[in-house]
Amino acid sequence: MIVYLRSGGKLHELLKPDVDQYTRRVETDEGATLVEILGELGIPLAMVAFAFVAGKVQKLGYVPSEGDVITIQSPVAGG
Amino acid sequence: MKIRVAKENCTGCKLCMQICAIQHYDEINPKKAAIHIDAEFPDPGVYTPKLCVQCGKCMEACPVNAISLVGDAYVIDPETCTDCGICVEVCPFGVMFVHADAPTPIMCDLCMKCTEVCNTGALTVVE
Amino acid sequence: MNGFGGTIVRINLETGGIKRTPTPEKFAREWMGARGFVAKTIYDEVPRDADPLGPENILIMAPGVLTGTFAPAGSKIGFGCISPATNGHADSNMGGHLGAEMKYAGYDMVVFERISPEPVYLYIDDDTIELRSASDYWGMGSLDLEKRMKDDLGEDFQIATIGPAGENGVVFSCITHDFGRQAGRCGVGAVMGSKKLKAIAIRGSKSLPVHDLPTLTKSTCDIIQRTKTHPLMEPWQKYGTALFVGWSNDHGCFPSRNFQTTYHEGWEGISGEKLAEEILVTHKACFGCWINCGKYSRAHIPGKPDVYVEGPEYETIALCGGSCGMTNIHDVAYANYLCDNLGLDTMSGGNTIGFAMECYEKGIITKDDLEGHELRWGNIDDFENIIRMIADRRGIGEVLSYGTKGAAERLGQGTLAFAHQAKGMEFSGYDTRWYSAQLLSYCTSDIGAHHNRSWAITADIQIGQDTPEGKAEVVIYLQHIRPLFDTWCCCRLFWGEVDVTAEEHVDTIRYITGWDVTLEECMKISEKIWNLTRSHYLERNGGPGRRFDVAPARQLEEKVPSGPAEGHRVGIENFEYMLDDYYYNRGWDKNGNPTREVLEILGIPYVADNLEKAGLLGEPFEDGVPEVRGRRLKPKAM
Repeated sequence: MIVYLRSGGKLHELLKPDVDQYTRRVETDEGATLVEILGELGIPLAMVAFAFVAGKVQKLGYVPSEGDVITIQSPVAGG
Repeated sequence: MKIRVAKENCTGCKLCMQICAIQHYDEINPKKAAIHIDAEFPDPGVYTPKLCVQCGKCMEACPVNAISLVGDAYVIDPETCTDCGICVEVCPFGVMFVHADAPTPIMCDLCMKCTEVCNTGALTVVE
Repeated sequence: MNGFGGTIVRINLETGGIKRTPTPEKFAREWMGARGFVAKTIYDEVPRDADPLGPENILIMAPGVLTGTFAPAGSKIGFGCISPATNGHADSNMGGHLGAEMKYAGYDMVVFERISPEPVYLYIDDDTIELRSASDYWGMGSLDLEKRMKDDLGEDFQIATIGPAGENGVVFSCITHDFGRQAGRCGVGAVMGSKKLKAIAIRGSKSLPVHDLPTLTKSTCDIIQRTKTHPLMEPWQKYGTALFVGWSNDHGCFPSRNFQTTYHEGWEGISGEKLAEEILVTHKACFGCWINCGKYSRAHIPGKPDVYVEGPEYETIALCGGSCGMTNIHDVAYANYLCDNLGLDTMSGGNTIGFAMECYEKGIITKDDLEGHELRWGNIDDFENIIRMIADRRGIGEVLSYGTKGAAERLGQGTLAFAHQAKGMEFSGYDTRWYSAQLLSYCTSDIGAHHNRSWAITADIQIGQDTPEGKAEVVIYLQHIRPLFDTWCCCRLFWGEVDVTAEEHVDTIRYITGWDVTLEECMKISEKIWNLTRSHYLERNGGPGRRFDVAPARQLEEKVPSGPAEGHRVGIENFEYMLDDYYYNRGWDKNGNPTREVLEILGIPYVADNLEKAGLLGEPFEDGVPEVRGRRLKPKAM
């Protein structure tokens, strides 16, 4: 199935966007967790603070569905 | 065209006020804007963008006929306006603004620049 | 002068004298604003033996080159003085709308000198500047007073206030504005209180001159359009800084129960998601910012009045929440409100109360000290009791009013080991036992342990969390670039989060001022400020510098007992290695004293003369001073 990962900032280079400036199209197996998808892309999990799918924060154990648009964010300082 | 105001989306950032003054006066001075944001804090914590709703009361009241309808917006002709302030007094919504350095009262001419910079959907264009 | 208000104001609070002078362009160009203006002025004017809460200290407020312009989030204003918490240089900045209003009134800096015989507030309405009686306002809460002054003066005045804690000299008192924006750190509120200055009210209606308005306008409008679709815009708008509570726990850097451990059981109850679900009233932005990370909330706790508060932000959640053992977002928001209205920094305040809770747990503070109350982890009633005692400086509250270091010195019994501070200012909301670059950041900071100087957690992850190697260079780079935003006076978030580059910010400065300025030049200014404030600290406190760059024993020696960082600690050898590396890369000596060579490169040889006279000038390492300047130290990962 196909999902779309989006990011900017520190993760931008690691993600290697191909759809537009921020978005990478990823083919993956159904049932794969985000941890597994990020692992295949070679993105260190520690660099991903959380995922954001359809307006909701998701942990990295999240199992995407076909067509999901998943924003991933690296950690930053608050305040 | 009109500007739709969704006050629940306003965050009080004043980008609209800044771009308005830049557009109309070539100046950085949010106090010279045709849009202002009312902030009701601490309770209930609500921002309300205030701008002309194009009701036309000012045109009716203007003693020198300086205000006319151009397209969808009422505009002030600065050549004719005597800056008497009657339009400001009669405005039912308090959205004719005054600034000491502006030759006439300041009112929205629907240039839509504010809707371009607003990032929260508080100000949008409706046909 | 393009980009500036044009006037500096000096107010002698003792005599009521008000003096206006034009802002010199040389001063503006060489120091750029806020943190730079403050550092230079305090260094040059405050006697080295001045009591921070005495008449010889000065309090400064200054926006910067980007404040009030059409630059992205040009909202900031800085406050500065000698800190009563650290006895060194202090600067603390806030967003909101005050800085822009001050520029529109035509002012670049206000310097408050001496002490007023009676409570006063500063009233500025364009060219009118007056000191007015604040006798009716004295004793009022910060938020209550802002509302009162808006009613008294008009909604279009921008107001900054202090609360009772600032009046009473609690060393972590803040200055509050816009119902929840604070110049929170370094105790600037206590210095304001010591001067009997209760509030500042400003209204400005002038236009700000700029060099090239069409290019500035196009540039910012382009940045707005580009960042609107940035993937990180939506999560930031929705949750603000509280987004990172979950991540921080997952990665073992969230302070739980006074940094006893670094994973907080029950953090889900105080997360950003919980905030958005349960207490959010409206999103709230600073001037000219379209990220609107501010969250305005209402806390509801049975038996207490409902309260409104801006926040809680990540730092408040970490320190009033996690470090005080809370697991309910309403409790954290209520604690935030108490701090804000009493006029206390939520960061040092939460940190200090967490410290006190551990003292209670260990029997060092008892019910007798607490007027019969308890001081249990996570108990909001106990929190309310102790924070009111601190603001009033009653009983044990007097001891705690000096912050964790001052309190530990008074309490003894080994409490300094778990006082999470550097140079007398409390840690931000990140434990460092698995993040050694962050520990180095805290301990080498000029103002104490504040993450606005250097936030190195991601750098730690990229370089390797357990190695001390390569950390110093990153920390130095961050200590130059991050505080640069507090000098320019725009928010860091556009740079940090939505890919607006530092170079783009410099372009904006060029459009505004017409100066042929480069990022290289700005980085050098930032390094100049860093060396100036370091030298200032040593001139006030003696040397060698290394004596002050110390870490809490818990961070060095105690292994994290649970959670993802279990078993980790920095270790004294690693810490000493990083310090050596840090001093070497700064071009200082091995004792952490700045050298003439570096100070001359940075254009402040007179500081070297002063250090030499005081016997504090460093000798460079044998192989000389590294070619430090500018961005040479930018790590590959950044």
